[in-house]
Amino acid sequence: MFRLNEHVTKAWLRRCGCAVPRGEAASSPEAAEHVAQQLGGAVVIKALVPTGRRGKAGAVIVANDVTAAREAAAKLLGISISGYPVRQVLVEEKADITRELYLAYTIAGRTLEMLVSAQGGVEIEELASSSPGAIVRATVDPLSGVTAEFASVQWQRAGVSADLLPALAALSARLYRAFVTGDATLLELNPVAVDAKGRLCVVGSMMAIDEHALYRHPDWAGVDDDDNLPTNERERRVARLSRELPGGECQYVELDGDIGLLVGGGGPGLYQHDLMLELGGRPANHSVTPPTGSDNRKLKGVIEAIFEHPSIRGLLVGFNFAQMARTDIRVRTLVEVLDEKKLDTRTFPIVIRLFGAGEEQSRAMVAGRPNIHYVPRGTSLKDAVALIIELVARQKQAGA
Amino acid sequence: MSILIDRSTRILVQGITGGQARFDTQWSLQYGARILAGVTPGKAGEVVHGVPVYDSVSMAIASHAVDVSVIYVPARFVRAAALEAIEAGVKLLVITAEYVPIHDALYIFAAARASGARIIGCNTNGIISPGESKLGGVGGMKPDEIFSSGSIGVCSRSGGMTAEIALTLGAGGLGISTSLGMGGDAVTGTSMAELVELFERDDETEGIVIFGEPGTPNESEVGELLRTGRVKKPLVALLAGAFQERYPSGQSFGHAAAMISSDKDTVSAKKRELASAGALVASSLDEIPALLKSRLAQ
Repeated sequence: MFRLNEHVTKAWLRRCGCAVPRGEAASSPEAAEHVAQQLGGAVVIKALVPTGRRGKAGAVIVANDVTAAREAAAKLLGISISGYPVRQVLVEEKADITRELYLAYTIAGRTLEMLVSAQGGVEIEELASSSPGAIVRATVDPLSGVTAEFASVQWQRAGVSADLLPALAALSARLYRAFVTGDATLLELNPVAVDAKGRLCVVGSMMAIDEHALYRHPDWAGVDDDDNLPTNERERRVARLSRELPGGECQYVELDGDIGLLVGGGGPGLYQHDLMLELGGRPANHSVTPPTGSDNRKLKGVIEAIFEHPSIRGLLVGFNFAQMARTDIRVRTLVEVLDEKKLDTRTFPIVIRLFGAGEEQSRAMVAGRPNIHYVPRGTSLKDAVALIIELVARQKQAGA
Repeated sequence: MSILIDRSTRILVQGITGGQARFDTQWSLQYGARILAGVTPGKAGEVVHGVPVYDSVSMAIASHAVDVSVIYVPARFVRAAALEAIEAGVKLLVITAEYVPIHDALYIFAAARASGARIIGCNTNGIISPGESKLGGVGGMKPDEIFSSGSIGVCSRSGGMTAEIALTLGAGGLGISTSLGMGGDAVTGTSMAELVELFERDDETEGIVIFGEPGTPNESEVGELLRTGRVKKPLVALLAGAFQERYPSGQSFGHAAAMISSDKDTVSAKKRELASAGALVASSLDEIPALLKSRLAQ
């Protein structure tokens, strides 16, 4: 999941034919003042951080003139909101709001869901817990989608008056198309504002998108990376590799233990991590490595990150019995990194549990290298985990 | 016997001229799978390991009646390929691609339901009914080294773990009726509970093993089946990923689907639920055979 900042979301909604306030992003107080001037003075300054509840967090400030706009931007830029540093603010014309509605589309479990409420605004979470009945939920059939008719029924259930229904239903259907064609996993519109003349405008919006569909949205590639990539330098490097190179995904998550885990993406990696903790070991990381192909750069990037963790004292290379993957590609890549980093394995135990295609070559590649323990066929994942824990403990004792 | 596939199952392969499809087709044929036809638009007339290639599903099935289509096309073409198979009347689709956009997946799952078709996957490494047939990469070049035939049904969120489970069962003298990686995505075409119910109804499956992960209600739904008596066969559950609860929430480890979104989705909660519903919860692979035997003997 990848969260877009509000100015990107709003640009998308505008392209999809939905009314949103005029506005622009600014990265300095002066730029904010300039935008406010162009918008005619009275504006709202919003911190551009990809998270909800910004109103509650004080990240939205109303400014009635350009000086106030500059001051508000100065106040928000550089602070941190829900862990996100504010690098930009959104300067928007101040909407005329007589009523606030709530609308969201989301993927809930196995279904698409539409949520509507006649009581939108910053208190929506409180409303959801105090009177859940005030939020109407409806399951959407992906084949038929949200038509104006369908939307109208939901808004009626939520108690919206008849005069608003036609425009609101039409807007809801357009927003649903923005949700689906934008490959969003969440599109939350709060508030959808009604002005004195009954006109509708999407004043608050948040959108999270499916990373696996980014190829359909080249405009968004990298647009909010700073907010979506991890802050740890090694984690970030692997995350970038994952996105930029071909082949499956890779991931490196740094932890505070001392045993590196070079594992696959799914179940066996989770299983070995559990076992390591149960048996008293402390993982230095979790990892996801892609299927073995001709391009080993992702695998190599993960192995490099693992070795660069300052507190690492040993490594487990643990994979399930290979059905499709080749063991020799993994071992060759490991050996490459060992040699490039000139790592002395005499004081750095490595346990390898890799069975299947290419195993003979794999064993030959590490034969004769000290302290690399390629366990015999039939060794369970659990026994391999126990072995690396024991070897690292012994090494630490010897070093102490 | 088995579920979903056996030696009589007639198979179509969509995207058969791609690298992985050629490889898997070769070893599936070797295993005895009845792969009758393949499809790759623009490649009609080619032959892959003796299997004729057609331009479309409807052209392929005009000459070959099929029971299942294995779909190898890349993620971005899955939607079109699956809809083509569903519209042509194929009733079982096995989708191997990983990273299929969620909206595409939800759409084809809905389309399949509306046509009475079943989808396994996306992101499955295949199905094997040992000694009968195999689809997908499961078992690789030497399926017999890993999978032996018997009476245990295996359903796993992880394709990789199906090999480890099969080896463990084999070491314990137990064989497999059918084993499948159901796909590790957040939403799959067929849920774990639906597959467990198929095993319950299969005469020759005597015991069931499930492998679960954090996130998604799949394992809890299996618990519900046991609680309500809809599944009575002995069921052993192995769940991995409890470690995630020791780290801050919101951190994703591995599959996006394995991200915990609510307390109910943690491995600890699922284990408690399954145990209270009557499942035998294994804490590691090696416990599985003995747990199964303790119930099978009764």
